[in-house]
Amino acid sequence: MSDRKVTIEFNDQIVRQFMLAAVIWGAVGMLVGVLIASQLNYWQLNFGLPWTTFSRLRPLHTNAVIFALVGNMMFAGIYYSTQRLVKARLASDLLSKIHFWFYQLIIVSAAITLPLGLTRGKEYAELIWPINIAVVIVWVIFAVNFFWTLAKRNEPSLYVAIWFYIATIVTVAMLYIVNHLSIPTSLLHSYPIFGGLQDGLVQWWYGHNAVAFFLTTPILGIMYYFVPKAAERPVYSYKLSVIHFWSLVFVYIWAGPHHLLNTALPNWLQMLGMTFSLMLWAPSWGGMLNGLLTLRGAWHKLRTDPVLKFFAAAVTFYGMATFEGPLLSIKSVNAIGHYTDWIIGHVHGGALGWNGFMAAGMFYWLAPRLWSKPLYSQSMANLHFWLGTVGILLYMGAMWTSGITQGVMLNGTTEGGTLLAYPNFIETLNTIRPMMLMRVIGGTLYFVGWLMMGYNLYRTIKGAQTVNGSIEVFVETPKAEDKLGFGGTFFNPPVMFSVLGTISAFAWIFGGHWLQIVGIFGTSLVVILAFVHYEAKSHNWGIWYDKLLVSWIPFTVLTILAVVVGGMIQIIPTVVINKAASVEDRIQKVYTPLELAGRDIYVREGCYTCHSQMIRTMKSDVLRYGDYSRLGESIYDHPYQWGSRRTGPDLARVGSKYNNSWHFLHMRDPRATSQGSNMPSFSWLYDWKTDVAALPSKISVQRMIGVPFAPMTPAEIEKSVKEQSAIIAKDLRNEGNYIEPDREIVALIAYLQQLGKFETVKTKAPAKP
Amino acid sequence: MKPSSSNQPPEDPVRHHSYDGIQEYDRRLPNWWLLTFYGAIVFAVVYWFYFKHSGVAMEDGPRVEAEIAQIEAARLSSGAAKLTDDDLWKMSRNPVVLAAGKTAYTSNCVACHLASLKGKAENPSAVGASLLGTKWITGGKPTELIATVTKGTARGMPPWGPVLGTKKVAEVVAYVLSHHEPGEPIEIVNSPAAGIK
Repeated sequence: MSDRKVTIEFNDQIVRQFMLAAVIWGAVGMLVGVLIASQLNYWQLNFGLPWTTFSRLRPLHTNAVIFALVGNMMFAGIYYSTQRLVKARLASDLLSKIHFWFYQLIIVSAAITLPLGLTRGKEYAELIWPINIAVVIVWVIFAVNFFWTLAKRNEPSLYVAIWFYIATIVTVAMLYIVNHLSIPTSLLHSYPIFGGLQDGLVQWWYGHNAVAFFLTTPILGIMYYFVPKAAERPVYSYKLSVIHFWSLVFVYIWAGPHHLLNTALPNWLQMLGMTFSLMLWAPSWGGMLNGLLTLRGAWHKLRTDPVLKFFAAAVTFYGMATFEGPLLSIKSVNAIGHYTDWIIGHVHGGALGWNGFMAAGMFYWLAPRLWSKPLYSQSMANLHFWLGTVGILLYMGAMWTSGITQGVMLNGTTEGGTLLAYPNFIETLNTIRPMMLMRVIGGTLYFVGWLMMGYNLYRTIKGAQTVNGSIEVFVETPKAEDKLGFGGTFFNPPVMFSVLGTISAFAWIFGGHWLQIVGIFGTSLVVILAFVHYEAKSHNWGIWYDKLLVSWIPFTVLTILAVVVGGMIQIIPTVVINKAASVEDRIQKVYTPLELAGRDIYVREGCYTCHSQMIRTMKSDVLRYGDYSRLGESIYDHPYQWGSRRTGPDLARVGSKYNNSWHFLHMRDPRATSQGSNMPSFSWLYDWKTDVAALPSKISVQRMIGVPFAPMTPAEIEKSVKEQSAIIAKDLRNEGNYIEPDREIVALIAYLQQLGKFETVKTKAPAKP
Repeated sequence: MKPSSSNQPPEDPVRHHSYDGIQEYDRRLPNWWLLTFYGAIVFAVVYWFYFKHSGVAMEDGPRVEAEIAQIEAARLSSGAAKLTDDDLWKMSRNPVVLAAGKTAYTSNCVACHLASLKGKAENPSAVGASLLGTKWITGGKPTELIATVTKGTARGMPPWGPVLGTKKVAEVVAYVLSHHEPGEPIEIVNSPAAGIK
């Protein structure tokens, strides 16, 4: 068959739609961000309404920025660049359309359900189970559309951007599905199947790699297309692309446990989390180098071209954030930074600097090409850049100062190390208030810049003719010798050395005495052999990789293998271990029905956005909050509520610390019991009635997922609730606080008062490698 | 579209394949980058060996328990723990002690016991009992007050010993005692409400 020449028109309509959606949702996400940042300074801005309260809006902000802004931007960039890189129109216009509208529908439903308090109580995984299913469906549609396009491509070889897109699609699917496994108790509520430590581990395997494979790899792919395009320069180094791609996708997955350093997480997992985070530094910087050094020879264009300005700054912020990440993963640094604003500053360096600026650069580059009209105002784009940059620097500077200040104050001791230097938590909070205000100013500047971009794009688009790109291609018949079969995929030096090296390393990590020694020698031997072989036969390695690049299925399979390993090693041992046997010396008491109802209120109101339930193995944590938390003390918690930020103090042992009246007064007006607090008032808990009717189905699901609730009939559950709430209401009444026992505040107090209750057990320590 | 390569040194060959006009140099990796990469891997191995095999490092739990035991020992042997009733009465008339005690009281105790020390006697929905008058729930002798403040009560007062330390606890008790007289009658009641009238 001879080659034939055809003209292909790209589907750029879908790119325009995703791009505009990203601009609009980005503005919404940032507006909510500025609001919640202001609420931390002025509690009155919570407006006393449940749906405008910080703890319900904070998940809306994070979800909007991650999934609505970056999600839409990613789809725009992937669809634009993929069509051109593989010389083919998107496989299906219908799938593209469904992808777009279904995704917007998901975003709207998230924006409605989160303020209503419908949540799963896990960060960046808050959306309720029906929406989870919709997300999975839309992701599968995206994947089918993408891979189908690859199958129809007219460019045999896959460019590095496509590698990153492939890694994104398969890994996000895996992470999302596993972390959202839950059993519904009703149409709007479910419990995750994992509990306590297991849930925490799965959550941060997901959470950390949402950053990796939703906020990083697709954007790196976008960088690999748009930066050389805009700079009109060749990519700095192909070799670096290869090495940093594979090391990035392999190493990233392992680093999740660095979100749980110094906690009850078993030590070997903490060590893996820390060391892999450090090993991640170079692969991340490989991406930064390839982005920045591609601009070499084009630096003069930075003065005039806002697109390149945004790209250069974005890649620089990426480099800063990926240096800061490994730094914060060092256990002793983490002891200061964790639970403070330092982490908030770190993620905003990535979100505002890397994601936001890559998005802006890409939009400014795309608009004139998609609407066939020059950008309305270059100088307005330049102003956007400077407003954004100053905004980010103010934001990050404020958060660094705030985080380190509060971390040092909280950990500080006096009188020969026997006393906390700042025993009152609120004193440390009020010290960082000016920094929190500075953050609002920085964020507002960034938001204003974004709005200017919206206006600039609007004026560019208004009255302009949409234009779809097209290309003339020679449709080539694939040559048979280019294809890698099963054998060609696996039985070749690079893959064999990687597999053998990984297996021996595991033997070393997990093996008993002699296996360990075999592992150490095996690993060293494989590494040496691989180096020697590469030095001698690097040409063959290159030929094999060229062949891999024309075979998208083997490429995808190898990518899946690389990302699956880390999660399997870390999660499977923890999940299969018998719960009761992996609790160290304590096991938590099973909740009463009323306490479970109270816990669901705690989750619904998003208390975890400001309060942790995890006393770390640190002297200062123990002095402040009590004995350090053990694994078993949250083993029945579905979802786990260890938290990630302490805007307020830890609550792991708050039970019985104060009397019922204290909580009663505190939740209605936090400043009555804690002068200077910035906590919102939760006044509706005094009016709303506890949902007792939902308890039977909730308890039966809890039993199904392994929590040893005693079997109870609905009548028994109701009786138990009545009795326990009557006792609390009576106690409150004796103290002069009158409340009907069926109100939610009573259930919440019941839950809070049992936090930290445990039974001592004698079991063997969990299996450790 | 095709970029010029005139200003590039000859050892940087461009790969012959181009994607939508994008070309790639086939440069070798920068040495410092490789060093960072290998360095981190070597560190990981050494770190693992130190914590898992060397037998030198302590696990986190036992380590923090040992640190806390040391703190307990230091507290137990400090002089403030051995104060007598007489000492505390003397402190309660010492202006330096009282100034410190009042500061500590204001920042830690007023939320429940109110600035007036009257607690529930002033406002029935206040959390804490009155610290004035002759009625006490957990004992009214100076050393008993020390014990109550240090260890907290079953009724929901948190233990302040670990937060304030022995010195500040003594100062705060002295401040409360400054509102009383030595030899006052002490009547034990079992509820704060009984203390109101």
